[in-house]
Amino acid sequence: MCKKIINGINARIGLDDLIENRLKRYRITKGTNIFYTLGIVAFFAYMLQAVSGYFLVMYYVPHTEYAFSSTQVIINTVPFGWLVRMVHIVASNLMLIVLFMHLVSIFIMGSYKKPREITWIAGGLLILVTLAFCLSGYLLPWSQRSYWATTIATNIPTAFPVVGDLIANILRGGDNVTAITLNRFFALHVAFLPPLFLFIVGLHMFMVWRIGLSTTPFGEHAGEKEAWPESKRADYKSSDPFIKSSYPFFPNFVLKEAFMISVFLAITFFIISFFPTIFLPEAANTPADPLRTPAHIKPEWYFLAPYQMLKLIPNKFFGISIQIILVGIFLFWPFIDLKKERNILKRPVLLSFIILLLVVWAVLTIWGGYS
Amino acid sequence: MGSINNLGGVLLRYLFSALIIVALVLPASADYKEIFEKEFLNQPWGGEMLAESACIECHSSETMDADLQKIPQEWKTSWHFQNNVSCHDCHGGDPSDAGMSMSHQRGFTGSPKYAEVPDFCGKCHIGILSNYLQSGHGKALLFSGTGPNCVTCHGSHNIQKANIDIIYGRRCTQCHSYERAKVIKQALFLTETKMQAIEDNLRKLKADGVILSEEEKTLFRTQAEFRTLFHTVDVSLVNESTDKFAKILTQLEEEIKATFDELRFRRNFSAFLSLLFIVIGVVLSILSKTYKD
Ligand code: HEC
Ligand code: HEC
Ligand code: HEC
Ligand code: HEC
Ligand code: HEC
Ligand code: HEM
Repeated sequence: MCKKIINGINARIGLDDLIENRLKRYRITKGTNIFYTLGIVAFFAYMLQAVSGYFLVMYYVPHTEYAFSSTQVIINTVPFGWLVRMVHIVASNLMLIVLFMHLVSIFIMGSYKKPREITWIAGGLLILVTLAFCLSGYLLPWSQRSYWATTIATNIPTAFPVVGDLIANILRGGDNVTAITLNRFFALHVAFLPPLFLFIVGLHMFMVWRIGLSTTPFGEHAGEKEAWPESKRADYKSSDPFIKSSYPFFPNFVLKEAFMISVFLAITFFIISFFPTIFLPEAANTPADPLRTPAHIKPEWYFLAPYQMLKLIPNKFFGISIQIILVGIFLFWPFIDLKKERNILKRPVLLSFIILLLVVWAVLTIWGGYS
Repeated sequence: MGSINNLGGVLLRYLFSALIIVALVLPASADYKEIFEKEFLNQPWGGEMLAESACIECHSSETMDADLQKIPQEWKTSWHFQNNVSCHDCHGGDPSDAGMSMSHQRGFTGSPKYAEVPDFCGKCHIGILSNYLQSGHGKALLFSGTGPNCVTCHGSHNIQKANIDIIYGRRCTQCHSYERAKVIKQALFLTETKMQAIEDNLRKLKADGVILSEEEKTLFRTQAEFRTLFHTVDVSLVNESTDKFAKILTQLEEEIKATFDELRFRRNFSAFLSLLFIVIGVVLSILSKTYKD
C-alpha cells in the first residue's frame, strides 16, 4: 500500500531522480568539518521558533491589560503551554549562540571570500533580522523587564540630531512605550519579520547550494582552487581531484547535520529541565509598571556589549555613529578584505584583529553584566 | 583592484586606532554613567514619582538639625517608601511649594503628640485603629496615657513589614511583665509560622516563574486580618479564631504542594526529552560511521 503511493508519486514527479541527482550526487568535499553544520542548525532553530510561536500566538493577547496574564495562562493553564514557551525562550537564546559560532567559524575559515560575498551579506542581514526578532519579541510579555529594556532601546535612536526623535516616535508610536508600541512590536514579530527572514534565508541558502560549500583552508584537503558550482558537483565521475575526494550530501552529510540538531535539542531540553530561570530573571515575572523604574535595567546578554559601549562613550551621537559604521564594515567585509589568502594563520594582522575583537566583546559583555 | 585593496588596509588601520583610543579614553571619563542614565532613561511619564518633594529636599539639606536630618534617610528604607507613602501623606502639607509647604492652610498637621499617634496612623489603617482602641492598650492610652501607641511598637519613619518578631523582651517589658507578651506570642506563633512558610513558598514559585496571584491575594487578606486581630491583645479571641485561619491556610498549602508537584513533573519531562535526543544523537553518529566517506 505504502509502496504503491510512493510509486505513484515517483511516476509523477520522479522522486528517485530527485534523490539520486539532487541529493546523492551532490558532493561535499572532504575539506569540510563539523562547523559546516551550524548554518543548518540555526535554520532548524528558526523553524522551531516558528512552530512554538504559532502555538503561543493561539493564546497570547497583544494588549497591555492582558499580555502579561496571558503568558501566565500559557505556562500555568494551557496543557504543555509551559513547554512551548520555554522552548521558544531557550531555543531563541541558543540560536543566537549557534549563529555567533556560524559567523565566527565562517570568518576564521575565510569562507566569505569570492565568490561568496553575497552569501556573507545575506547572512549579515539575517543576524540583523534575528536581533530585530529578539527585540520585538522581548516586549511582548509586557513584564517590568521587557517594558524597561524596550524603553532604553527605543530611546537610543534619539541620539541622532533632527531625525532621531522621528525614528524613535515611529518605533514607539508616540513619546514613550505604550499600548501602541506593543501592537507595533507584535506586528513586527509575527507579520513583518517572518517573510523578510524567509526571503533572505532563501537567498542565503540558494547561494550556498549554487556555489557549493567551501573547504577549510587548513589541513590536507585545504584550499579550493575555484568555486564549485552545483552543475559540476553533480558530475561525480569527473576526474577533478576534488571530486575524487568527496562524499555524497545525502545521506552522509545530512546525518552529520541531523546529529548536530539532536545535540541542539538535547541542550535545549537540558536547560529547560535544570536551569529553567536562566533566561527569566525576577523582573520578567513582574507585570510592567510604567511608574516604577526597576533598580537594575539590563538588556539581554547579546545586547550587553553594544549597550556597555554606548554607556562608555560620553557623546551619544558619536557612540551610535561608531556602531553604525561598525555594522556597515561588518556587512561589507568581503569587499574590504580583498586578500586572496584564506588561511588566517598566515595573516597575523587579521588574526590578532579578530582575537582583539572577540576579547573586547567578551570584556564589554561581562562588564555590562556586572555594572 | 589594487586601490580597493589599499582602501581595505587603510580602513582597517583606522578602525584599529579608533578602538585603541576608545579603550584608553573611556575609563578616564568617570561620570559617563550619570550622563547616560539621564539621557537614556529620561522618561517624562516617570517624572511624577521621581520628582523630589520639597519636604525631602529641605529636610535632608545641611540646614537641618542632625537628628532631624536623618529622617528622610530612615524613611527611604521603610515599607511605606516602597508603597509610595510620603511625608505629606502622613504629615499633610504641600510638597510642591517649598515656601508654603509647612503651612497649616495647606493641611500641614505637624508632628503628632504621643496620644494622637493612633488617630494619625488610623487615617489609613482603619481596621487596626478600631481593634487597637478596644484593646487594653488603647484604653490605657486613652484613659491614663500609659498604653503603648503605634510608634512604640512599629517606629515612625523606618516602619517595616510587620511580623511577630516585633514582640520581644525589651520592648514589651517597659510597662508590664513579659508573661503577658509571651502568652499572646504563643497564640500567634502557629498561624504566623504557617503564613510565613506559605509566603516563602509563593516567593520561591514566583522566582521559578509561576505566579499564583489568587493564592497571593488570599494570603495577603488572611495575613492582614490576622495581624489586625493582634491589636486587640486579647489572647482568648486570638485562640478562638485560630481554627478559622488554619482552614484557609491548609487549603493554600495544598494548592502550593500541587504546584510544586507540577514543577517536578515538568523538570522530569524535559529531562526525559533531553535524554531522548542524546540517544538519537548517539544512534545518528553510529549510523553515520557506517557510511564510508
Ligand atoms: C524650606 C525647608 C522646609 C521644607 C520645604 C519643609 N520643612 Fe519641615 N521643617 C523644617 C525645619 C527647619 C523644621 C524644624 C524647625 C521646627 O521645629 O519648627 C521642620 C520641622 C518639621 C516637622 C516637625 C514639626 C513639629 O511639630 O515638631 C515636621 C513634621 C515637618 N517639618 C514636616 C514637613 C513636611 C511634611 C514637609 C513637606 C510638605 C516639610 N516639612 C517641608 C524645614 C522645612
Ligand atoms: C508613616 C507616617 C509618617 C511618614 C511617611 C513620615 N513621618 Fe514624620 N513623623 C511621623 C510620626 C508618627 C511622628 C511623631 C513620632 C516621632 O516622634 O517619631 C513624626 C515626626 C516627624 C518629625 C518630628 C521629629 C521630632 O523628633 O520632633 C519630623 C521632622 C518629621 N516627622 C519629618 C518627616 C519627613 C521629612 C518625612 C518624609 C521623609 C516624614 N516625616 C515622613 C510619621 C511619619
Ligand atoms: C497615608 C496612609 C498611611 C498612613 C498615614 C500610615 N500608613 Fe502604614 N501603610 C500604608 C500603606 C499604603 C501601606 C502598605 C500596604 C500594606 O502593606 O498594607 C502601609 C503599611 C504599613 C505597615 C506594614 C504592613 C505589612 O504588610 O506588614 C505597617 C506596620 C504600618 N503601615 C504602620 C503604620 C504606622 C505605625 C503608621 C503611623 C505612624 C502608619 N502606618 C501610617 C499607608 C499608611
Ligand atoms: C507603654 C507601655 C506598654 C508596652 C510597651 C506594652 N504594653 Fe502591653 N499593656 C500595657 C497596659 C497599660 C496594659 C493594660 C493594663 C492592664 O490590663 O494591666 C497592657 C496589657 C497587655 C496585655 C493584656 C491585655 C488584656 O486585655 O488582657 C497583653 C497581652 C499585652 N499588654 C501585650 C503586650 C505586648 C506583646 C507588648 C510588646 C509588643 C506590650 N504589651 C507592650 C502597657 C504596655
Ligand atoms: C503592642 C505593640 C503594637 C502596637 C501598639 C501596635 N502594633 Fe501594629 N503590629 C504589632 C505586631 C506584633 C504586629 C504583627 C502581628 C502578627 O504578625 O501577627 C503588628 C502588625 C501591624 C500591621 C500589619 C498588618 C498587616 O496587614 O500585615 C499594621 C499595618 C500595623 N500593625 C499598624 C499599627 C497601627 C496603625 C497601630 C496604632 C493604631 C499599631 N499597629 C499598634 C504590634 C503593635
Ligand atoms: C538565521 C541565520 C542563518 C542561517 C539560517 C544560515 C544558514 C546557512 C546554511 C544552512 C549554510 C550552509 C552550511 C554551513 O556552512 O553551515 C550557510 C553557509 C554560510 N553562511 Fe549562513 N546562515 C545564517 C546566518 C549567517 C551569518 C550571520 C553569516 C555571516 C555574516 C553567514 C554567512 C555564511 C556564509 C559565508 C556561508 C557559506 C559557507 C561556505 O560555503 O563554506 N550566515 N548558512
